[in-house]
Amino acid sequence: MPLPVLVVDDSSMSRKLTIRAFPGDWDVEVSQASGGQEALDAIERGLGHVVFLDLTMPGMSGFDVLAEIRRRGLDCFAVVVSADVQPKAEEQARQLGAMAFVRKPVKADALHGVLREYGFL
Amino acid sequence: MTFQEYTPDQEDALQEVVNIAMGQAGAALAQVLDVYVALSVPRVRIVSADGVADAVQAMIASAQDGDPGDVTAVRQGFFNSLRGESIALFGTEGCNSLADLMGHEQALEKDEIDRELLLEVSNILSGAVLNGVAEQLDTDFAFSAPTLMAMRQPVNRLLDAQALGWDYALLVEVNFRLEAPGFSCHLVLLMPEESIEFMRRGLDAMLEGL
Repeated sequence: MPLPVLVVDDSSMSRKLTIRAFPGDWDVEVSQASGGQEALDAIERGLGHVVFLDLTMPGMSGFDVLAEIRRRGLDCFAVVVSADVQPKAEEQARQLGAMAFVRKPVKADALHGVLREYGFL
Repeated sequence: MTFQEYTPDQEDALQEVVNIAMGQAGAALAQVLDVYVALSVPRVRIVSADGVADAVQAMIASAQDGDPGDVTAVRQGFFNSLRGESIALFGTEGCNSLADLMGHEQALEKDEIDRELLLEVSNILSGAVLNGVAEQLDTDFAFSAPTLMAMRQPVNRLLDAQALGWDYALLVEVNFRLEAPGFSCHLVLLMPEESIEFMRRGLDAMLEGL
């Protein structure tokens, strides 16, 4: 069964760039969300076992989404994909439950490295 | 003169390009000040020249929930493939907390401290944002040294795009907020028609690559 993967970003270009960086042979079912609320709904429906999450979004930020995932006890593997490359942003995201951090602009190598590290490849 | 707006895809792409550049600028400022710089979603708009001041004022007001009041502004020109003005706008209160963060001695007159700090911070932010945009569009541009444009003036009094001789302007706004109380900086980029078109071609090239 393909792995349900959710890509969350307010920018459609950015979502496409992330998806384009996926390994070509990765057996996944990709869903997309353009905001935090939509993302949480999708995760609750089982569409995001792996979630690629932007931090800087209007309304609900990626930090808010991580906090809410934890509060609701949702089971997913969150990878932050962000242009906010300050060490404190990564630290805060990890404290809120993000397992990995990939910098924008997304490099395929970096993303594959994370997937390999956690046994998704 | 009629003017072609950006398509939703072009606008989305530009916003993301600026988002990445803003992230680099925020990290540069965070490193200098050793604080976390909170970032928000950048905004882009094409406006007619006579609407620039109002548009900037509205963007700032909506970013901070209210009238920005008087601001201190530092400008830098940039030129080559893209040209325009990069203007950093600071609220009045922010300057003091900034002085503390930078560890400046109190020996200088207060206005002198303000001026030096604001020029320094503006240079960091403008440089990083402009370099970030240039890198992604695979181009480069040069910029002038920062100069103080206005101290404690209302926003609508500092921007006069007609004086620049433009009909339309691309307006890009990014907002940097420090944990330090009261400090926020709005960086506004203004670019004339030919830069709007240069940018459009660059964005189309990025979108075609998707």
